[in-house]
Order: sequence, then C-alpha cells, then structure tokens
Amino acid sequence: MAEDLKEEMRKLKEEMASLKDQLKSMSEGEHRGRGLYIDIGNPMRGYVDDVMQGVAEGVHGELEKSIFIGPQGVRILRGQPFRQEEQERVDFAKTAEAMSALGHEHRLKILNELMGGGRYINELQEKLSEITTSTLSSHLKVLEEAGLVVQEKVRGRYLITIPGRTAYKMAQQVARFLERRNGE
Amino acid sequence: MICRQYQLDDKIMKTNDPMRLWQSEKGLVEVDKGALVLGIRLDDELKGYVLHGHGRLILDTIVETKDGAIGKPIEKEITEPLLMLGATEETQRHLVTATDEDLAEKGYGNQKEFAANAEKLFERFLGKERIHGGGYCGVPNGIVFAFAGKDHDLEILVADGAKIVYKAPDMVFVAERNRVLMKRPDHTILMNGRGSFIFGE
Repeated sequence: MAEDLKEEMRKLKEEMASLKDQLKSMSEGEHRGRGLYIDIGNPMRGYVDDVMQGVAEGVHGELEKSIFIGPQGVRILRGQPFRQEEQERVDFAKTAEAMSALGHEHRLKILNELMGGGRYINELQEKLSEITTSTLSSHLKVLEEAGLVVQEKVRGRYLITIPGRTAYKMAQQVARFLERRNGE
Repeated sequence: MICRQYQLDDKIMKTNDPMRLWQSEKGLVEVDKGALVLGIRLDDELKGYVLHGHGRLILDTIVETKDGAIGKPIEKEITEPLLMLGATEETQRHLVTATDEDLAEKGYGNQKEFAANAEKLFERFLGKERIHGGGYCGVPNGIVFAFAGKDHDLEILVADGAKIVYKAPDMVFVAERNRVLMKRPDHTILMNGRGSFIFGE
C-alpha cells in the first residue's frame, strides 16, 4: 500500500508540474490593461477538481481493499469529493432544525448524558433531576426529530446518533473558542 | 439425503388472545386476537403456521458504534399473511377452531379461500415442491418468519436467542450481541466488539 501511495504522490507531482506550466503559459500570453490577467475560470477549476478527484479515488480504492476495524471505528466516504456546488446546496431549513435542537441548555445536558451510552428515560430523569419528566420527554422528541437522538422501540433506551455526537462536539468546540476569545 | 414434504393442515384455527409470537431485546412479532391460523406439518409433526390477521413487527435495526448510533427502528403493521416455523407448543395453547364468521371478518368467503391464500405464501417460501432435505426443520430452538409484502419479495426474519437475521428488499440486518452487519442501499455497517466499519453513507 505504501508503494501505491508513493505512486499516487508521483502522479500528483506530475500533475502539479503540468498545472504550473499551464499557468505560466497563460500568464505569459494574456495581458489586459495594466495588471497581469490570469484566467483560471471554470475549465481550470474543473481540471483541478478532476485531478484532486482522481487522487482521492486512488487513495479511496486502496483503503477499500484493506478493511481495518480499529478501536475508534473507521469510516470511508464513498461519495464524490466535496465541491463548491455541494456547499451551495446546503439545506438551510435542515441545518436550522439541527442548530435549533442544540440551542437549549437542557438538550445539551441530555446529549452530554447520552455521550456516555444509551440511557432509559428514568436514568436520564435521575441524572437531570432539574428537568421535569414532561419537559424531558418534549426535549427528547425535539432531539429525535432533528435526528440527533434515536429511541429503541423494544427496550426504550435513547441513543445519541452519529450526527448527534458530531453536533454536540461541534457545539462544545464553538463554545470553547468563544470562551477563549472573550477571555483575550 | 432424506427429502420430506411439508403439508398444510385442513382445520383452520384462530388466535384466542393477542399473541406475542417472538420477542427479544432487539424486536418482537405479535398478532391480535382473531388471526386465522393454519398448521404446517412435516411427517405429521407440527412445525409451524401460516397466520393471517392484524399484527406488528418491530425490529431495532440500530447499530451502536463508538461514533454514535446509526439506523432506526423498523415498525410495520402486519396485514398480509405471515408464515412462522418454530415455537409451536406455546402458540398451540392460544388457538381455537375458527368459524365462518371469523373467516368473513378477514375477507374470506369460505375455508378454501383462506387455505388457497395460505398455500400461495407457503409455496412462495418453500417452492412448489415443498421439499425439505435434512434432519430438522427451521432453526433448532429458534424461529423463522416470512412476511408477505405487496410486491413479490418476502421479508424473512430468523431469530435464535440473541442471533437475528432480517432480510427485506431494501436491507439486510444480521446481529449477534455486539456483532452486527447492516446493509442498506446507501451504506453498509460492520461492527464487532472492537470497533466498526462504515462504507458509503
């Protein structure tokens, strides 16, 4: 696998050299007005994207061949590399729903409890005694609807989902960042 | 190899109580009172049933990885006939003879109509020959369900203690305690006691 990665690196270097040459020839050939004009418009961006995608697919292919189950788990994204257009296709309503679900102290406390593993409602009630049973249920419903928490139908335990865990960690990071900034 | 042929009973029964046909930590199958029942025999030994009544299938196809849970519970209302192999002794205690009124309630004009419907499901599951080769039927100590969907595909659930295999047109779920394989159209998850591996998503 190390050999294959070396090969990918070599290909990448070649592509970069080719890109440099193209940029050089473009900068030499195109002068508009007083400044230097380099057109790196859509065709060029597409080319860079294709090169990066090719490298990503190569590495992805190698990773797929070797299945390793580590203590923290391993994840491979099979979709296309993240592009500018995808950023523009963000579902703002869905994002707002997830952020809104996070936007309550009680719900953050619930997520914090669930980070330690699945919990029955009475266990959550015991740990979060400042929240009444009915309020706890409605908070769990909000978290469930946003996809941050899932409830087992048979045992009834509440579990934090992968997006829930990610969102909670992200919220913590933002809070720490702001805390540091405010302290400066 | 010894080949033997399954047969359906002639006598139509019905459930006298709401019945939980199977339950584990991960799921359950239950039918309401009044479900029509036809026994399945192999060499005169009762091996299972075809049931038709209102019921529910609940299966927590959720995988708990170290990164968080993935998947969601399956909750299906059962309205079409289902086939069940295993757990006959417990089920038999809750059955009584069905009347023409019971059949009419489920939309059957007579016993033959229900028997024909049961035969159809039976043949979809076992094939027209109804041949079984080997020494036992189904899972030893376990239970097998085949649920008739609206399309041609059957949904199959096999459960034996903590072991579960569920196959539907859009997913496969195999679980034994903390070892899980779940395959859905957009992702596949493998998990054992040490960690998890997620393809796609």
